[in-house]
Amino acid sequence: MLQDDPPDGFLRIDFDRDRPETTFNSHIGTLYAKRGAKGTRDEFVLGFRVHQHMCNPAGGLHGGMMMTVADLVGTMGGGTLVGLRKFLPTVSMTFDFVAPARVGDWVEGRAEVVRQTRSLLFTNIYLTVGDEKFLRASQIAKIPSGEGLSFGKARLDRSAAGAAAPSR
Amino acid sequence: MAIPSKVPLGFRELTEASGFAAANGPWFEKIDGDRVIRGFLPGPQHANALGIVHGGMLAAFIDSAMGTAVLHTLNRRAVTVRMSLDYLGPGRVGDWLQAEGEVVGHDEHMAQVRGRLYGPRHEVLAGLGVFSLLSRHRKLTRRG
Repeated sequence: MLQDDPPDGFLRIDFDRDRPETTFNSHIGTLYAKRGAKGTRDEFVLGFRVHQHMCNPAGGLHGGMMMTVADLVGTMGGGTLVGLRKFLPTVSMTFDFVAPARVGDWVEGRAEVVRQTRSLLFTNIYLTVGDEKFLRASQIAKIPSGEGLSFGKARLDRSAAGAAAPSR
Repeated sequence: MAIPSKVPLGFRELTEASGFAAANGPWFEKIDGDRVIRGFLPGPQHANALGIVHGGMLAAFIDSAMGTAVLHTLNRRAVTVRMSLDYLGPGRVGDWLQAEGEVVGHDEHMAQVRGRLYGPRHEVLAGLGVFSLLSRHRKLTRRG
């Protein structure tokens, strides 16, 4: 059976801490995140291994899975880059499907903040396998007024990684 | 398999689904003259942290309905090249949600499709997609 075998520094994201039922982010597969040094390209990286249950009938990574992950990279990753821990609802997204990804590929997603206003966050998102970009997306997310809900209950699971875990 | 009672009359389950569609189904379809309507009944596994249907699930579903509209209208298989989505309102867990597409333009290679996803009370998602039409002679290979 295909193992996730995440590269060094990636920790599983626990989306459903203390929640009785599995939500979509957990249901679609195990997602990982890596936190690099502030201001670097790797400040927030989301990663996952492509499995059959994420694919279309032709054997490529399903567009729906790409869109789901890109959405998450924009709201969770983009929000992290600007220091927001709130849940940011997506207002609008555009996706360009420039190439396929295949079973066994390790996918990484990174966000770039274009602009933050009082109520909106504009980001660009790329999904890559190695150095190859296969999805380009742009997103507008709403920044709720007030404290809002913190980003669900998502936490990086440090229990398995021990001392190798990067600090936030 | 027993069909959930909230599935409206005339919808059949897409039993040939595999991979992502099967893992996030069941999805249903109804052919109504020129229109193909797809529907699903969101459960907790489709929800986000707010308890409403995840935007990624809605995106996957409207994309599938828009691709099906290309197949039904032009009799061509297609892959999505670009998808623009505007989130208009929340999709509620337990509400029957429907999506459909309309081919608004095409040539020999590309099709432009407008899509909508809606619940019993309001519009949820508006889409505009560009699809690349596969060769008429190409067989869709199915793996797994």
